[in-house]
Amino acid sequence: MAHAERHPLGATLALALVGLVFVPLLPGLLWAMGPSLSASVWQALLTDPQFAQALLATLVSSLFGTLLACLMAAGLATRLYPSPAWQRLQQRLPLLLSVPHAAFAVGLFFLIAPSGWLARATGYFLSWASPPEWVTVQDPYGLSLALALAFKESWFLLWVLAGVLGEQAVARQMAVARSLGYSAAQTWRLVLWPQVAPRLGWPVAAAFAYSLSVVDMALILGPGNPPTLAVLTWHWLSDPDARLQTQGGAASMVLLALFSVSAALAYSGWRAWVQRRAYPTGQRLPAVQRPWPWQAPVLGVGYAALGALVVWSVAQSWFFPALWPDAVTWDNWRYADAAPFWTTLWLALAVSLLCLPVVLIWLEWGPKQLNAVLYAPLILPALPLVAAQYAVLLHLRLDASLLALVWSHLLWVLPYMLLTLVGAYRAFDARLMTSARALGCSQLQACLRVKWPLLLRPLLLAWAVGFAVSVAQYLPTLFAGGGRFATVTTEAVALSAGGSRQVLAVQALLQVLLPLAAFALAFSLVRLRSRNRQGLR
Amino acid sequence: MLSIKNLTLRCGSQTLLEHLSLEIGPGEIVTLTGPSGCGKSTLLNWLLGHLDAAFQASGSAQLNGRSLDGLAIEARCIGILFQDDLLFAHLSVGQNLAFALPAAVKGAQRRQRVAQTLAEIGLEGFAERDPATLSGGQRARVSLMRALLAQPQALLLDEPFSRLDAALKVQFRSFVFEQIARLRIPTLLVTHDLADVPPGGRVFDISTWQPQHV
Amino acid sequence: MKFSNAKTALSAIAFSLVLAAPTSAKALDWPQIEAQAKGQTVYFNAWGGGEAINAYIAWAAKEVQARYGVTVQHVKITDAAEVVKRVQTEMAAGRTTDGSVDLMWVNGENFRNLKSNGLLYGPWAEALPSWGLVDLKKPVRSDFSVPTEGFEAPWGTAQLTFIANKAVTPVPPRSAAELLTFAKANPGRVSYPKPPDFHGTTFLKQLLLNLTPAPALLQQPVTPQAFASATPALWAYLDQLHPSLWRAGIAFPASAAAMHRMLADGELKMSLTFNPNEAANLIASRQLPSSAYSFGWTQGTIGNVHFVAIPANARAKAGAQVFANFLLSAPAQAHKADTRVWGDGSVLDVSKLPPDLQALMRNKAPGALTESVPTLAEPHASWVEALETEWLKRYGAR
Repeated sequence: MAHAERHPLGATLALALVGLVFVPLLPGLLWAMGPSLSASVWQALLTDPQFAQALLATLVSSLFGTLLACLMAAGLATRLYPSPAWQRLQQRLPLLLSVPHAAFAVGLFFLIAPSGWLARATGYFLSWASPPEWVTVQDPYGLSLALALAFKESWFLLWVLAGVLGEQAVARQMAVARSLGYSAAQTWRLVLWPQVAPRLGWPVAAAFAYSLSVVDMALILGPGNPPTLAVLTWHWLSDPDARLQTQGGAASMVLLALFSVSAALAYSGWRAWVQRRAYPTGQRLPAVQRPWPWQAPVLGVGYAALGALVVWSVAQSWFFPALWPDAVTWDNWRYADAAPFWTTLWLALAVSLLCLPVVLIWLEWGPKQLNAVLYAPLILPALPLVAAQYAVLLHLRLDASLLALVWSHLLWVLPYMLLTLVGAYRAFDARLMTSARALGCSQLQACLRVKWPLLLRPLLLAWAVGFAVSVAQYLPTLFAGGGRFATVTTEAVALSAGGSRQVLAVQALLQVLLPLAAFALAFSLVRLRSRNRQGLR
Repeated sequence: MLSIKNLTLRCGSQTLLEHLSLEIGPGEIVTLTGPSGCGKSTLLNWLLGHLDAAFQASGSAQLNGRSLDGLAIEARCIGILFQDDLLFAHLSVGQNLAFALPAAVKGAQRRQRVAQTLAEIGLEGFAERDPATLSGGQRARVSLMRALLAQPQALLLDEPFSRLDAALKVQFRSFVFEQIARLRIPTLLVTHDLADVPPGGRVFDISTWQPQHV
Repeated sequence: MKFSNAKTALSAIAFSLVLAAPTSAKALDWPQIEAQAKGQTVYFNAWGGGEAINAYIAWAAKEVQARYGVTVQHVKITDAAEVVKRVQTEMAAGRTTDGSVDLMWVNGENFRNLKSNGLLYGPWAEALPSWGLVDLKKPVRSDFSVPTEGFEAPWGTAQLTFIANKAVTPVPPRSAAELLTFAKANPGRVSYPKPPDFHGTTFLKQLLLNLTPAPALLQQPVTPQAFASATPALWAYLDQLHPSLWRAGIAFPASAAAMHRMLADGELKMSLTFNPNEAANLIASRQLPSSAYSFGWTQGTIGNVHFVAIPANARAKAGAQVFANFLLSAPAQAHKADTRVWGDGSVLDVSKLPPDLQALMRNKAPGALTESVPTLAEPHASWVEALETEWLKRYGAR
């Protein structure tokens, strides 16, 4: 894959473009968190009455959520791979993956709240007149938040697993191990998991980092009194009082520390377990039949949440304990506020279309060793990064401008696009490029006329992923946009606090429809272009 | 003895093989040749018990008098060798071999057997080595010994020599045939290279059982 | 001689003209302000938690665009304190002329914060042409006992109102003591928004006014001694009340809007709002069942006037003034008071308005507050922060 000659201009351009997105963060981090380095701030933080409980809620929701997600994904993979059910699961995942976090949280809220669908269904049989006193949402330890995170992240981990297990070598390893007399369950335990688990390391880290710093889901499902540490940090960072702002900066550092410590502990735990691995005893255990259908609830909850959103969006009035709306109406859609939709659309288009060439230039000419730096926003908690961005924008007096908004989204869209594209890019046969150049093209021309057109499918997929990531962004839109720009995500979160559930459902569904539309567009473009070109599919 | 009776393999509406019947005696190596993609590997997968859900098969197989129909892979006692060595990357060379040893061999004896086997294939002292550090030929040998250590009653070879270079191929080929002759297990070899056929072994072209139509 | 007399006369006239200039210049400046405002974009930062309010602001924006060519962008916020922060940060960073906020909906402690830190532009409010219609008997010149001095223009009146469901609660509690009895009889079905949400804080103030032995202290700025003597009754009451509340007082609804939702489903038996006509709006938009009704307390509930103010670093000061003037004008106030639109009380003197607008303001939709509830004055703005801090300390984290 290495190009015979170095391309200094290309490398400089790649570094400059990526640098525009990443480098300003460094002074930003200093400005945002520098003032928090004094002992008095830390003392104030640790003695704040809300801090301890908020920290506990964060730890419970993120640790429990990520652990449960791992168990669900692992359980499903062990149970279903490599049967047709696993293939069907793989086909159903993209729909659920493209559902943004906030929309899923709203849907889950509609399901499990004391006046939600589940309670109404139960109340139907038990003749309840008023909602039960369940503490199913906004519970003080963040368990409902953990549940939502678990489901959402399990789909993501399943998708990663599907990619890893789809490799032929893995399938054949299963055949080989079983031919040696081991049952499928033993093969998983002794052969597959030890090899596959390390490859899940980064995705699990990313999921954990997200759950530590999530604000939109925590506002919808998490505790309120006090909220999780991420929400508390966000409140402090946005407070008029400068003292509380520095306290917020210190709390961001606590989130970072939580992540680093947990990651370090997990890694050393893994290494210790690997060291203690016993010499194979050759013991073959009989196959165990586990009869219960694992896959139903893991995906089913996602569909139920979407269903709840759809029903609420066409409901006229729907009070407890009615199982179905009193009447169905299109008024909610007809009179929906379209402004957030259009804002989200143009923003996501601008960000994803800007990002695509940057990623391509980086993959083609950028130094590959620095890829790790570009992946950093994926596995670091978002709050410190957003605070840094905001500090930079304030200094440059650019906050609340369109430019600021687009720039802030790039920080998260770029790594996801890179991640989606890097596999296909590296797997690209270098001899095609060499042939093109032997025919007289420069490297740039060869890219434009040969390489990038051939990579159409991964390219469009990466674009759709970038689009979806931009639609789902919450904190960057709030901070960099100065609250001026309402996207469907910010609208949904704001409405979840109170007000019309019908309007909330419409905005949440719009949040779901946008990424779906992007993926549909990408796939139909691929199909269009590859009508006479099978090799592009 | 490994016998296949009246096997028909279908992929949806397309028939890949029909009315395949074959008997392989102990120590005998039967070779199946033919171009790629016409069902050779699928046949091996069926014998192994690892047939992909996209295929439908009818017919029966027996190994040493025992019917294989409906048995899970781990119950069939059939070993397999693929093109790739497929050594488990998380285990050392010695642990890979020990993995295959039956549980009846216990304790210190396991390590002895492993060391013995490694010595037999000229890899003395390699027990603690990382498989990734071995050369292609060395890995192929370990892979074969791993399959054989599990004491299979039959062996399937799915183009096991195609990834090796010419000199290595000849060496490894004769090593494989030696081991099989020693253990006297029926073997089915699938390859597209006629040079792989063992001396005096039966050769069948897969087209013998392919449907006769244009 | 004649010439010098003439000169003196001329200079006298000129001097008097100069003296007169400020007052007549005010009247003259307005067309200039309107001309300046044309084409400007005004970022109006206002609470976006009510759909009727958002719809009204959208209507006002359209009107102002058509009449004066001023574009108004409604920036929806959850708490005015956020806007105070933004203005403070911008001014501290030296951004004194192109701030991001042009006009903000504000009152109480937020106004006091801004005014005492010199963050407001003004005075301008009493120079607005619509000022002549304002009912000066209402507390339009004093915001939570802090004099406005023309730094903010009145927009509407508010009164703390409670909402219940007749099908479930035919006889509502109308005092703090009755509320305690009611909560104990209906455990887990009563609550209030968590302070520092302004509805929650106002509920605390309402309770305080009902329970404190020394109400006069509340009209003065807070001092530690005043706080210590006026509030113990409140904390004792809350300690008794909380165990019977929703979720046993460990968690609280985030806002009044959340409470409306819970009232609609029967999870709570009572909700509260600042708008006496909110229940009517919610019934019309099918957020509350038609058996919902509004009520007040026997001794009265807190009422106040809410305002709009212009930050010192606003970019579009002229546009902001034109918009504020429109908001204060008779047609806009009448439209606002129409219960089919928002139902927010007007700050204008009704007798000065034409009869058709007067009729609009008398519309009462089902669910709105029909009884006449006495208005209690707001405590001094400084009490707000003190109450919120103490509440958070006692009940903020469990």
